[in-house]
Amino acid sequence: MRHVSGSLGLAGALVIWLALLGPVFALATHLSWSAIKSSLSAPGAFDPLVVSAESGAVTLGVLLLIGTPLAWALARGTLPFPRIWEIGVLATLLLPPLVIGLLLIFMIGPYTAIGQWLSHFNLSTTNTFLALVVAQVYEAAPYYVLGAQAAFASVDPRLEQQAALLGDGPLRAFRRVTVPLAAPGLAMALAVAWARAMGAFGAVVIIAYHPTGLPLQIWTSLNETGLPSALPFALVLLVVALPLPIAAYVWSARARGRRRG
Amino acid sequence: MLEVDVEVDRPRFTVRACLQIAPGQRLALFGPSGAGKTTLLEVIAGLVRPRRARITLGEVVLTSTESPVVALPPWQRRIGLLRQDPGLFPHLSVRDNLRYARSTATAGGAGGEARAELVSMALALGIDELLGSMPAKLSGGQAHRVALGRLLLSRCDALLLDEPYTGLDLSLRRTLTDLVISQVERRGVPAMLVAHELAEAQAFAHRLAVLDQGGVLQIGAPDEVVRRPASRRVAELVGYTAFVPVPISAATGSAGTELAGTVAGIHPDRIVAWRHDDKGLVLSGVVAACRPAGVLWEIRLRVAGMAVTARLPDPAPVGAEMVITVTDPPYFGPDGAAVSEHAQARR
Repeated sequence: MRHVSGSLGLAGALVIWLALLGPVFALATHLSWSAIKSSLSAPGAFDPLVVSAESGAVTLGVLLLIGTPLAWALARGTLPFPRIWEIGVLATLLLPPLVIGLLLIFMIGPYTAIGQWLSHFNLSTTNTFLALVVAQVYEAAPYYVLGAQAAFASVDPRLEQQAALLGDGPLRAFRRVTVPLAAPGLAMALAVAWARAMGAFGAVVIIAYHPTGLPLQIWTSLNETGLPSALPFALVLLVVALPLPIAAYVWSARARGRRRG
Repeated sequence: MLEVDVEVDRPRFTVRACLQIAPGQRLALFGPSGAGKTTLLEVIAGLVRPRRARITLGEVVLTSTESPVVALPPWQRRIGLLRQDPGLFPHLSVRDNLRYARSTATAGGAGGEARAELVSMALALGIDELLGSMPAKLSGGQAHRVALGRLLLSRCDALLLDEPYTGLDLSLRRTLTDLVISQVERRGVPAMLVAHELAEAQAFAHRLAVLDQGGVLQIGAPDEVVRRPASRRVAELVGYTAFVPVPISAATGSAGTELAGTVAGIHPDRIVAWRHDDKGLVLSGVVAACRPAGVLWEIRLRVAGMAVTARLPDPAPVGAEMVITVTDPPYFGPDGAAVSEHAQARR
């Protein structure tokens, strides 16, 4: 009886696993070498890749800079009314990306106060690289902040206190104790944020149709020339977006393993 | 010299203490759980904010709630605190944990001398073969030794030890206590130990402070505190298990009024069998129970309706009449305070 239930459990898990990976299998079986060659050999075919990679890197930088302190403060409960702050982070996670894009128009569009202020510096938050970064930040930020918050919360505050007793000021203790201990979780949060930024579409299509990144290239290829010409760009997007999360996962697992000795 | 004068509000009481520890001197804080011992150490280390305090270490004011207000953060106090939880950094090897504070002090410039000191400390603690191990692989005793080594290798000017040996076997406790004592003497720094067990506190300290409900009840040489408790409560805390009324025959004459309501403190280890009138208070009772306690026998007597425990070298049959002498017992008046030597002499 136990053997049968074990086999049924395994079969069920396998079905779910195959279903989850189904789209990847479909991509692999429907791609032809000739379609890849013709799509990617066109002039400027790799421009969307460059745009996505550059904007994704800038987005990660912004998230590291503004998301890390916020995540740390949320984890340590140093902010007043912590639930209010968490709701703010969750709101960007719960709002549909398309809605975020629409609302960003009202917040930072060219006719808003922020938009007009930016125009003094010849900056615009619609259809520019800056707009693309803003859209990606909004789509990826909650994934990074919540992941980093969990990573910081997993660090025992008594260890930071111990570092202080051994002579480390707050910044030094943060660098020598908090960050190394939170690093596996931070790496995973950053990797997920990267994947979200690279695949950002909903908000991007509203405020940053240009410059064209990979998700928009897939969308326009699908609309203009059909599914076969869109699939090669989907492959490129996966090839660019997935290695970092996979590497982060492997590194995190190894780091945790090293701590276990 | 570490000088501490603090008042800290806790949920149930206020911790009040005024202590001085000279360089190279060792003070043990002894008392029941929740007496405020750990709070006191945490205030000195700068982890807990006091209501009123003046704490100085040498010429440096660490905390002062009076003008000019001073509250040095923990990392500037140069005070080492070792807690019950070893608090090893799990991402660093034993070697890196040991040199953690050293690299803080010298900005990573640990030279050959520091390396030699680290190896020498590891040898003294018996952890020299664990230097490459990660903390997760250590046993509880090994982790405590590493934490102690890390503390002793740090460049602190005072040592605070908060029940650091809990859960360790007796021989390891003795080894670690001897090591700490030798380091305190060599470096000439003041040291404080919070201990839950009296023997541990006695083995460590020049002076023993008994804390209860946030207050220092008595402070003095360990032997003096144990043999001459200042109050019945101190006596209870240092192991006196029974308090018997002084016999009427002893309370007659001119001292009769003064000794009314006086009790004698009975410590199980300060009892000898048979009558020895010249040694102390003679009691007789019936053996209620007798069971082994190490190399001795723990005998429970019923004396005038009260239970008196004695640890003696020989067993006694249950139900037998037995006469014992409580050697030089302390006496306490009705208010719980120790009766003066003069009154005892008159007894």
